[in-house]
Amino acid sequence: MKNLPAYIVLLPLCSALLSLALSKIHKHLGRDVVFGALVGSLVLSVVQLVRVIQNGPIHYIFGGYKIPYGIEFSVDTINAVIVIMVCMLGVLSCMFAFNFDKNGDALQVGGAYTMHALLVLGMVGMTMTGDVFNLYVFLEITSLTAYCLIAMGGSRGIVSAFRYLLVGTVAATFYLLGVGILYSVTGTLNMSDMAACLKQGNNDSAMLMAMMFLISAFGIKMALFPFHGWQPSAYTHAHTGARPLIAGAMGKIPAYAMFRYLYCIYGKDFKYFRYVLLIIGVISVCGMIYGSVRAMAQKDIRKVLAYSSVAQIGYISLGFAIGSPLALAGAFLHMLGHAFMKGGLFFAAGAISWKYGTFDLNDFGRIYKRMPFTAGLLTVGALSMIGIPPTVGFFSKWYLACGAAQTHEYVYIFVLVLSSLLNAVYFFKVIEKVFVQADKNRKPLHPEGKGVTEAPITIMIPVVTCILMILLLGVFNVKVIDILLISLKGVAL
Amino acid sequence: MRKVLPLILIVICLGASFVTLDFLPEIGDPSSKPNTHTTDYYIEHATTETNAANMVTAVIVDYRAFDTMYETTVMFIAGVAVVLILASHPERKNRIRFRKVRKKESRDGKPVYRTINKEVVIPLIEPMIMLYAIYVLFHGEISLGGGFQAGALLGMTYILDVMVIPERDSLIRLPKDKSTALGGIGTFIYVLTGILCMAGGGVFLEYEKLPIPMHALEKHSTGMLLVEVGVAICVMATIITILNGIMERVHFDDDTD
Repeated sequence: MKNLPAYIVLLPLCSALLSLALSKIHKHLGRDVVFGALVGSLVLSVVQLVRVIQNGPIHYIFGGYKIPYGIEFSVDTINAVIVIMVCMLGVLSCMFAFNFDKNGDALQVGGAYTMHALLVLGMVGMTMTGDVFNLYVFLEITSLTAYCLIAMGGSRGIVSAFRYLLVGTVAATFYLLGVGILYSVTGTLNMSDMAACLKQGNNDSAMLMAMMFLISAFGIKMALFPFHGWQPSAYTHAHTGARPLIAGAMGKIPAYAMFRYLYCIYGKDFKYFRYVLLIIGVISVCGMIYGSVRAMAQKDIRKVLAYSSVAQIGYISLGFAIGSPLALAGAFLHMLGHAFMKGGLFFAAGAISWKYGTFDLNDFGRIYKRMPFTAGLLTVGALSMIGIPPTVGFFSKWYLACGAAQTHEYVYIFVLVLSSLLNAVYFFKVIEKVFVQADKNRKPLHPEGKGVTEAPITIMIPVVTCILMILLLGVFNVKVIDILLISLKGVAL
Repeated sequence: MRKVLPLILIVICLGASFVTLDFLPEIGDPSSKPNTHTTDYYIEHATTETNAANMVTAVIVDYRAFDTMYETTVMFIAGVAVVLILASHPERKNRIRFRKVRKKESRDGKPVYRTINKEVVIPLIEPMIMLYAIYVLFHGEISLGGGFQAGALLGMTYILDVMVIPERDSLIRLPKDKSTALGGIGTFIYVLTGILCMAGGGVFLEYEKLPIPMHALEKHSTGMLLVEVGVAICVMATIITILNGIMERVHFDDDTD
């Protein structure tokens, strides 16, 4: 099993490439192969995490060359955990998408699952790679498939995808400019080799310039506050089957890449490190307030969740800005938790729209009578967003606050509490609509009986899994933090 | 405010582009980091390690073959995305129309173009282009060329055939569902080469472990050739796919639906 990291990226790739050819044999064969491959990746990524915990980081070099000359995958406990998160969301949303491809012909169905598998592949690759240019290639795959999946959400989706395409291209160019500057002073593309080279020479101004480009690039890709313009409409109008994956996982992976650059390549020896952290801290604080305020004014649940993502991404980058081990671990716990919260809330919204064809919050009146599990997920997800124990949202914010207290950054704690209160305002609105507001005459799209009539099993499995993941990550948070701290000890402030 | 702020930003960015970056090395400086750190190794070892006389090919499809695999996948994604988004076959009146170029019509209503005899010339040119494409494909590792260029030439042959003589029945027709599937299979050949290396006991894309009875250096050449064939098929299929996607949105004089 020395090829373990390669298998994790190869399974989705092969299934995606063959999906269209297989769809010509039978309409759903390509889809089933993609699903099987994603499940295989998930199992292998769990095996990988166990191995990394037991034997230490894995370094896998493609082509069998020496390190700065070939391309390397380097897996430590942090990205092993994130890979599991991405694969899990990929499997769940692939299963979820089964319900939304009824109308398409074989080409449309096969193509949609090709894009789905390639999106998962791109994110997994971006997480595991140890080569800065390889990261760019995976970033390209992630972006292109995301543009396509957003454009498949109808005519409004095409406009949002075009806007994202323009902004995303600028981000990719910024990334290349940053890498170009770093290459000009180090002459290498391997991350660990680049870190060693940067420590030797005196290149502070070049590094600062490159870091500005990189922050803008990853900021655009993860929809950090001043760069978030493309994000709400893109999340809102994306293809319904792919929305949980896009909203749940896509913003987190550039955030992890930014962490890689900040702490693994630059490191605390960088002369302007404090100033860079301060810039990130200021924009994340602004984003946390701005996203929450904008989310309060929305009526469409997709828009509420999209603006709330702007705020929640701010929590993750705030953890990077604080920089102590506990805060970083809290940021990563929030990354994991938020993937399941936001993915789960979009699963629930998708289940309601599958049944009633509506996303308007005012149509959700007393929906718990009809769909108890979906309403349960909406509640648990909303409580976790606000930060109520024992959900994961409370513990991630707790660790962030602890980290901020260790480094005496009390402003950050204040903003953290303020943003949580603002979250409470609009998420209690959602809970109120679900449980208290009068029942409206919703017209079901599919024939249904009396009493409890949930969506089909392929929608219910993701919904229930997300509830369990939010609660389990919260209850076993110490275990997760311990796993993350194994790798964080060496790099944090 | 919404219009002024972007303008200010653009002016600042334009101004920033006039700032001299004194930390960048001079162009062609032989002692700069990019020219000394890894480049020396590639120049000294590329030919002996990979058996490819063309050093660029050695870096692209051997040292960094993993990147090229995903660049090929990007081509495939482009083709599929065009089909999924553009090729929805809009109503006839919504298709893009071109101004009629015909100058005069013969008595039975068919257009008369004053050109060379295309039925004779095109079938003569096509085999030569394809032969040249095969030459470029197989000589990629020795001289200039490679999979991308060969695929572009092959795709061009198909475009020439479809565009110039649309009424003739071609030997091979590639509608959009077949061409996208072919693009996926082309990239899969690339991946399969890497998987064969793993089956031979090596790591992914380690050509020396290909399970074929050959000398290690010949295995490198074989691996590169397989990879280039995959790239060529993918690029050809993608070009044809994009042509198919655009053709469905254009109004033609002889459209029936």
